[in-house]
Amino acid sequence: MAYRAEPPDGGWGWMVVLSAFFQSALVFGVLRSFGVFFVEFVAAFEEPAARVSWIASIGIAVQQFGSPVGSALSTKFGPRPVVMTGGILAALGMLLASFATSLTHLYLSIGLLSGSGWALTFTPTLACLSRYFSRRRSLATGLALTGVGLSSFAFAPLFQWLLNHYAWRGALLLVSALSLHLVACGALLRPLSLAEDPVVGGPGAQITSLLRHGPFLRYTVALTLINTGYFIPYVHLVAHLRELGWDPLPAAFLLSVAAISDLVGRVASGWLGDAVPGPVARLLMLWTTLTGVILALYPVAEAPTGLVALTVAYGFTSGALTPVAFSVLPELVGTGKIYCGLGLVQMVESIGGLLGAPLSGYLRDVTGNYTASFVVAGTFLLAGSGVLITLPHFFCFSAPTSRPQDHVTEALDTKVPLPEEGLGED
Amino acid sequence: MRALQGLRGPRAPALPLLLLCFLAAVRRSLEDGLSTAAPFTSLPVQEEITTKYSNLSLESHNISVTEHSSMPVEKNITLERPSNVELTCQFTTSGDLNSVNVTWKKGDKLLEDNYLVNAMGSILYTQYRVAVIDSKQMGSYSCFFGEKKQHRGTFNLKVPEINGKNKPLITYVGDSVVLMCKCQDCLPLNWTWYGANGSVQVPLGVPVNDKYVISGKHANETRLKITQLSEDDQGTYWCHAIFELGESGGHVELVVLSYLVPLKAFCAIVAEVVLLVTVILLFEMYTQKKKKPSDDGKEFEQGEQMKLDDSNGIENSGPRHRKNESVGQ
Repeated sequence: MAYRAEPPDGGWGWMVVLSAFFQSALVFGVLRSFGVFFVEFVAAFEEPAARVSWIASIGIAVQQFGSPVGSALSTKFGPRPVVMTGGILAALGMLLASFATSLTHLYLSIGLLSGSGWALTFTPTLACLSRYFSRRRSLATGLALTGVGLSSFAFAPLFQWLLNHYAWRGALLLVSALSLHLVACGALLRPLSLAEDPVVGGPGAQITSLLRHGPFLRYTVALTLINTGYFIPYVHLVAHLRELGWDPLPAAFLLSVAAISDLVGRVASGWLGDAVPGPVARLLMLWTTLTGVILALYPVAEAPTGLVALTVAYGFTSGALTPVAFSVLPELVGTGKIYCGLGLVQMVESIGGLLGAPLSGYLRDVTGNYTASFVVAGTFLLAGSGVLITLPHFFCFSAPTSRPQDHVTEALDTKVPLPEEGLGED
Repeated sequence: MRALQGLRGPRAPALPLLLLCFLAAVRRSLEDGLSTAAPFTSLPVQEEITTKYSNLSLESHNISVTEHSSMPVEKNITLERPSNVELTCQFTTSGDLNSVNVTWKKGDKLLEDNYLVNAMGSILYTQYRVAVIDSKQMGSYSCFFGEKKQHRGTFNLKVPEINGKNKPLITYVGDSVVLMCKCQDCLPLNWTWYGANGSVQVPLGVPVNDKYVISGKHANETRLKITQLSEDDQGTYWCHAIFELGESGGHVELVVLSYLVPLKAFCAIVAEVVLLVTVILLFEMYTQKKKKPSDDGKEFEQGEQMKLDDSNGIENSGPRHRKNESVGQ
C-alpha cells in the first residue's frame, strides 16, 4: 500500500488535533475535576479524605504506567482500535463505579479500569498527532493540549451541577456517558502509513532499539527531572498563599488566572516552536529554565503584586513547555518509533511526577514553610534543562528538520547488531 | 473611662512607668466608685435577686443607644441553660439626662420593677436583671428612652439554633440515607425527629423499627438513618432539640429519585456517541470509495497537494504489511 514520505502537515491532521483536544479534555479534565466528587465520597462512605484521594492517585498511576502498553498495541494495530477500546474501558469503569458500595469498589473501577482505559487513549493519540505533522507539529500539539486547561474550567462546575441534581451515583453514570465520547474521538484517528514504518519493525524491536538510543535515554532523564518539579506549584500554591495570609477566594482566583496564562503559553509556544528554526529542544530548555527560575523566586516574593506577576509568568512558562516537550521526541527517534517512544517516556517521567508532590510536602513539614519546596522544584527543573543541552544538534544553527530519510537510515542501522552506543549522534 | 484614657498615649513606655500608670488608674477608679462595667454595684434590690438564684451563672450584655440612631439597636443572646441575665442599655445624648424617661418592656408588656437607672457624666445607664429559669422568661426585652421620640434597644433571648441542611439531599430508590442536624456548642436534653405527611407532623423512630434509626455520635448532633427508601419518603424532615429553656429545630429536605431519571440521560448520550462513530466511519468509507478509482499509481507522492487523502484507513492493511516486510528483511 502507499506509504507517505512526509507527514501530511494538515488536512485530516486537523481532525486529529480536534480528537486530541477532546481526549485531553476527557482524560485530564475529568481527573483534575474529580476533586468535586471527593467531598461526596467522604460523606457517603464515611472514610477519611486521604483514603478517598487514593482513587485519583491509582487512576493517574495506571494511566501513566500503562502508557507503554497503549503505545505497543498502537504500533501493532494502529491507534484507532486501541483508543476506541480505551474509551469503552474508561466509560465502563465509571459505569461500574456508580454502583459501588465501598471504597474498594471505587479503587478497582475508577482507579484500575478507567485508568487502564485512559492509558490506552492519551499516549497513542499524541503520538498519532506527531505523525500527522512535521512543520507545524508544535502548534498542533499546543492546540491539542489546550483541551486540558479549558476542560478544567468547564468540568468542575459541570460536575458540581450533576452532583446537585443526581447525587454521586447518577453523576458518575453521566460522567461515564461523557467518557464514552473517547470512542468517537478514537474513530477520528485514521491510521497513517509513513515511509519508515516498515523499517522500524514491531513493538518489541522498537522498544529494544529505543533503550539503546543515547539521546532518547538522556531526554527521558531530562523529562523525569522536569516532571518532578513541574507539578509542585499546582499542588502547593494555594496552601502557600493561605499561609501568607490570603483568603481562599482570591487564592483560588489566582489559580484560575494561572490556568488562563497556561493556555496562552501553550498556544504561543506551539506557534513559536514551529516558527523558530533549529532543534525544538532549545526552546524546551528556554522554557524549563525560565520556569525553574520563577519557582526559585517564589519564596522571595511577599507582596501581592509580586506573587500575582510570578504566578502569571509561571502559568505561561509551564504551559509553554508542554507542547515543546512532546515535539522534541519525533526529532530524536523519528515518527516511526513515536508510539513506543512516547509510551516509555510517559512511564518513566511519571515516576518524577509521583515523587515530586510528596517530596515537596515532606520538605514543608520538615522546614515549616514552602520555601524549600519551591526552591527544590526550581532546582529539578534547572537540572532537567541542563541535561537537555546534551541532546544532539543542540548548538547547531542550521535547520535540521526531522527528515524521514534520516530516520530510515538510522533505523536500518539498528538492524545491524554492532555494539554501538548512542546511535544517531551525527 | 476618663481615668483610663491616659493609657492610650504613646506606645510602650518603659515597663515600670507603664505599671505605675496602671496602678494609678485602678486606684482612681476604685476611689470614684466608678467603672464602665458595673455602674450599679452594691444596691440592695439587686442583692435579693442574686441570692435567690445564686447557684446560676451570670450573663451580662450591653447595648449602646445614641439619640442619632434611627435604626433600632438589637442584640441576640443565646441561652441554653437557666442563668441570671443582666441587660444594660446606655444612652448618650447632648441634652438633659434627668428629663429622659426610661421604660422597659418584654414584648409588649410593660415591666414595672427589677430595673435601675443611673447617670454618669453624659451617659444614662439602665439595667434590667432577670433570672431565666424556663421558657417563660425567654423572648425580647426592650429598653426605651424618651417620651415622644423613643429610642430603643432590644435584647433577643433565644435558645441555640439548630442547623439542618439548606440544599435538598438527593437519593435513589432502595438506597439508605443519613439525615443530620447539629448545633455549634450546645447540649440539648433530648432530640426528636418528625416527618411531614401532608401538613401533619408525624414523629419518627417511635416505636423503634428497622426503617428509622435515630443515633448521634456527639451530644450536639443527631442522625436519622432511613433505609429502604421509596418515593413516598420524599419530603421535609424536622429535627427538634429540647432544652430546659425551650425548643429549637431545623429541617432537611429529602428527594428520592428513581434510577430511570439519570438512566434516560445516559442512554440518550450513548445513542449520540454511537451515532457520531457511525457517521465518522461512514464518511471515511465514502471518501475512500470516491478516491479508490483515481488512486492507482499515485504512490510515494511528496504529498502537499493531497489535502484529503492521507490513509489506507479501514482495511488496516498497513500494520500487517509492516510486519510482513520486517520479517522479510
